[in-house]
Amino acid sequence: MTSESTLFSNRWLPVLLVAPFMLLIILFFYVPIFQAFYWSFFLEQPFGGGSMFVGLDNFARVLSDREFWQAGGRTLVFMVTASSLAVLIPLILAVAADRKIRLSLPARNVLVWPKGVAGASIGVVFAFVFNPFVGILAPLNKAFPGIWAPGIDGTDAFITLIAAHVWSGIPFNFVILLAGLQSIPRTMQQAAAMDGAGPWRRIFDVQLPLIMPQLFLTLVLEFTESVTSAFALIDTITHGGPGGATTLLVYKIYKDGFSGYDLSGAATQTAILMVFVILLTAAQFVFLGRRINYER
Amino acid sequence: MIENARSLNIAASVILLAGMLYILGPLYLTLATASQSYEFLLRNGLAWYPGDQFFNNAARIFTETRIPIQMLNSLAVAFSLAIATCILSFLSAYAIVYFRIRWAGVAFALILATIMLPVDIRVITTYQVASNVFSPVNALLDVTGLNGLIAKAFGAPVQLELSVLNTHFGLIAPLVAHGTGTFLFRQFFLTLPKDLFKAARMDGAGPVRFMFDILLPLSRTSFAALFVLTFLSGWTQYLWPLVASSTPDMQTAVVGLARLLPDSDGEVPDFPMIMAGAVIVSLVPLLMIALLQRYLVQGLVLSEK
Repeated sequence: MTSESTLFSNRWLPVLLVAPFMLLIILFFYVPIFQAFYWSFFLEQPFGGGSMFVGLDNFARVLSDREFWQAGGRTLVFMVTASSLAVLIPLILAVAADRKIRLSLPARNVLVWPKGVAGASIGVVFAFVFNPFVGILAPLNKAFPGIWAPGIDGTDAFITLIAAHVWSGIPFNFVILLAGLQSIPRTMQQAAAMDGAGPWRRIFDVQLPLIMPQLFLTLVLEFTESVTSAFALIDTITHGGPGGATTLLVYKIYKDGFSGYDLSGAATQTAILMVFVILLTAAQFVFLGRRINYER
Repeated sequence: MIENARSLNIAASVILLAGMLYILGPLYLTLATASQSYEFLLRNGLAWYPGDQFFNNAARIFTETRIPIQMLNSLAVAFSLAIATCILSFLSAYAIVYFRIRWAGVAFALILATIMLPVDIRVITTYQVASNVFSPVNALLDVTGLNGLIAKAFGAPVQLELSVLNTHFGLIAPLVAHGTGTFLFRQFFLTLPKDLFKAARMDGAGPVRFMFDILLPLSRTSFAALFVLTFLSGWTQYLWPLVASSTPDMQTAVVGLARLLPDSDGEVPDFPMIMAGAVIVSLVPLLMIALLQRYLVQGLVLSEK
């Protein structure tokens, strides 16, 4: 779009058009990000008690804290398990819904519903459904006492979190993957069928390779999503417990900052988490993105 | 193409059935429990079939909790977030695509980067900025030494202070700072034929006229899709409304609902009432999805490309 006649040449009007939005973004996106990094080099007193430059002390303190590494490790475990399930399950559903069968229309409708249920709302619901005393597994608990105890057993609490996360992640991933499947030209399927590929084989040799861009995209977004969106679920279902078994980094930062008033520590962890998310996204684009063929 | 794929179709049906059960199961149990009494829950545990106490439980949500007011807050937040995002994204995308400006690429990159780090990650420092939106101005005056000069001339340095915490504006503004909308409109503008622009110019349309008379009517579907998408995201936000509001009357419905759960594992909470609350709080967005699903799906697909 560089030719003379396809663009307006006003000078100040575009500035005026972008300015309000840019101002908001600078104020509520770039300034907070800058401040997180800035604060990680200062010792901040809560309630505006002044600050003191401490160099890398905050990082030394955070990195030598066992709880930080534990929360980081849990974040990683949650990220890998929850997001691979949150892509795999919608993928299977999308492949099924792409077929012309009677159920595929109602399924396409129903599978979008979780988009309207807040993470915290579904957290409240799952806290009830998986409640060990009155929930769905309570009869099992009566038969085998202690087999399901998310209030005591960290693994059980973790499983509840993952089930809730996958539940609320279905709409977006399902819609994207289904759109990818539907944009595969029918002639490709027909050609593969002519060559003798059965319907099962075509799923793996035609459909999956052709929706790699969509799969890649959902995976990239899901990784970031799982790092951050877990907060609402943790705060409603497990409160980080039992014994810190579900305290992921976002939850720890919130607790340190808003309950512990350790602003420097929280800011330092925020800075580390941001760098991690940015590196992760970049790495996915470099290592995975390059190997994907976007041509059809 | 005629082909016998029965085994696959059966497998697909079973999978879809299981998927729908996974989605609808918790929702059904919520509804069933919301229509039972607390005594029923204590006696039988989770309700597998609906009872007749729903209106009783719902009435208690409306009289004993702050959820009615919080629903109005949610409505205000979600609606203004959606409107603000639509307008600001449209204007910025318009400027980036249709004007010959050298900084278009930089502006777009700066806007797009906001998608990578959502407000949940930067919540600590966003809170600090919201507690005094002039803090960057103060810092700038300090760093440049201007404040020293001002202090010499007028006796005191400039220290502006304005907190947007616990206001509707504060609840909304950090959520507006998100680039999906600009991205969506830019993609849409790029698919429009260039001849449209040339014809409009030949007819003497200036930038303002072109925007209002041609671009705006053409973008109706994109507006609808973005509106639905941001409305839902505004309604379902949790962490930011939680920290940005300090009084129950300023909280959103989702935050209020989560506050109904007791913090400790003591006795069994009044789940029928809480589930009735969950139903009431989710009604508006679910209704929106039911009515405007076409736009929602479109919005999801468009925001990806």
